[in-house]
Amino acid sequence: MSSGPFALWRWGRLFKDFPGFLEGFRITLLVSILALLLALILGIIFGLFSTSNKKILRAIARVYVEFFQNTPLVVQVFFVYNALPYVGITLDVFSIGMLCVGIYHGAYVSEVVRAGISSIARGQMEAAKSQGFSYLQAMRWIILPQTITIVLPPLVNQAVNLIKNTSVMALVAGGDLMYRADSWASNGTLSYGPAYIITGAMYFILCFPLVSWARRHELRIKNRDTQTVRPAALSAKGGQ
Amino acid sequence: MKFAKKMVCVALILAAVAGTVFAGGKQESGGSGDVDKIKGHGVLRVGVKSDVPGFGLQNPATGLYEGLEIELSKLIAQEIFGDSSKVAFTPVTAKTRGPLLDNGDIDLVIATFTVTEERKLTYNFSTTYYTDAVGMLVKKAAGISGLKDLGGKTIGVAQSATSRVAIKEAGDKIGVSFGFSEFATYPEIKAALDSGRVDVFSVDKSILAGYLDNETVILPEAFSPQEYGIASKKSNTELASYIDGLISKWLSDGTIAGLVSQFNL
Repeated sequence: MSSGPFALWRWGRLFKDFPGFLEGFRITLLVSILALLLALILGIIFGLFSTSNKKILRAIARVYVEFFQNTPLVVQVFFVYNALPYVGITLDVFSIGMLCVGIYHGAYVSEVVRAGISSIARGQMEAAKSQGFSYLQAMRWIILPQTITIVLPPLVNQAVNLIKNTSVMALVAGGDLMYRADSWASNGTLSYGPAYIITGAMYFILCFPLVSWARRHELRIKNRDTQTVRPAALSAKGGQ
Repeated sequence: MKFAKKMVCVALILAAVAGTVFAGGKQESGGSGDVDKIKGHGVLRVGVKSDVPGFGLQNPATGLYEGLEIELSKLIAQEIFGDSSKVAFTPVTAKTRGPLLDNGDIDLVIATFTVTEERKLTYNFSTTYYTDAVGMLVKKAAGISGLKDLGGKTIGVAQSATSRVAIKEAGDKIGVSFGFSEFATYPEIKAALDSGRVDVFSVDKSILAGYLDNETVILPEAFSPQEYGIASKKSNTELASYIDGLISKWLSDGTIAGLVSQFNL
C-alpha cells in the first residue's frame, strides 16, 4: 500500500520522537491533576457559598458559576494567552492550562457540591443546631461526610471532562499530549489517523479507570440498604 | 454487566480500526482515466490558500479568490473542460491540505505547497512553478535585525510547514539556538507575535506579506528556497503527469512568468 492511512507508519522515526510524546503525556497528566485539585478547592468553597444563608456569598458564587458555565473554555484560554499580555500579565502556557481548566471546572464542581449539600442539609442542619453544633461543625461532622458519598460519581464525571478539556492547551502551543500529536502528524512522523488514534488511546487510558471505578461505586451505593434519596440534579452531566 | 463492558471495549476498538482503514476514503484506483474522472465530476476541485496575497487570497469585498495559484487552477480547468470557470475552490491550511487530498475531497492542491523529498513519498508533485524562501516577520520595536539576534527567542511556526526545519538549520550553522511554538493557523501565529508570546513569525515570505502591518517588518534574510509544486494524490499518476506537462509548457511559453509579474511576486 503506497498511500492510504497506514502509509506513514514509520517505526524508526516513531520511536525517535517517542520521548517527546511521553513528555506531552506527562504535561497532560500534571495539568490534569493540578487543575483537578484547583477545581475541587474552588468547587467546595463556592459550593458552600451558594448554600450559605448570607446573601452576599450566594451572589458571589452565582456570578462565578454563571460566568464560567456560559462562556467557552477556548475563549477563556485565548483571552488569557493573547489578551492579558497587553496589560502586563504573561503567564506561561502550563499555568494557563492549569488555571483556566481548573477555574472553569470549579464552577461545575461547585454546582455538584451545592446539589449534594442541599440534598442532605434539609432537616439535618436544624437537628444538628438543636444539639448545639455550630454551622461549620455541622458541615464538617454531619453534612459533608454524607455529601461526599453522594457526589462522588458526578465528581468523577467532572474529572473526566476536565482531563479531556486539557487538550485546549494544544491551541496555544501548550506542549501537551494533543499538541505533540498534532506535531507528530504534521511533521510526517505518522499519518494523521494513527497519530490521533494513539492520542485518543492515551486519553482513554487516563479516563477509563475513573469512569469504571465511578460506575462500580454507584452500584455499591444503589445496593446498599440506605435511606439516602439521590436527587435527580446529581445525575445531570455538565462541563462537556 | 462484565460481558457488556467487554463488548463495549471490543466495539470501540473495532470502530477505531474501521475508522483507520476507511479513513483513506474512496480508494480510487489510480493510473487510468484520472482526468476523465474529473470530467465526470463536471468541475475541477482545487485546494487553495485563502489568506496569501498574490497566491491564493479570498477578496473580503467580493468573496472571490485571487492570485497566481487561482489563475493556474483556472488555466487547468480551461485545458480539461475548455471552460475556465469549471473550478471549485476549497480553502486549505498547511495542516488540512494533505488529508483533504488523501480522502479524495479535492483533486489538486495548489496552495504554496513546498516540494520536499519527504512529501514526495506521500504525494505526486509537479515541476516547480514558483520558488520562494522562508522569511521572518518581527516587531519593529523588538530591535531584531537578523537571525544572529534570535538567541533564546521563541519562533512561531505553522504546524506542517517547512519553516521550522529551515530556520533551525540556518541557526545551527551560526551557532544560535531558539525555541519553537507551533500553531494551527497563521492568524494565531500573528496574534501570538502581537501579544509577545513569540518573537518571530516565520513562514514563506509570500505568506508573511499578508500579515505585514505598521508595527511589523519582514527581515531581509531568507532561508532554504521553497519550491512550490502542484500536488495530487499518490495513486493518481496519470493526473500528475498531465498536470506536470501543463506546467512545463506554461513555464517555457512564458505564461507563468506573465502571471508572476501580473501579481508583482
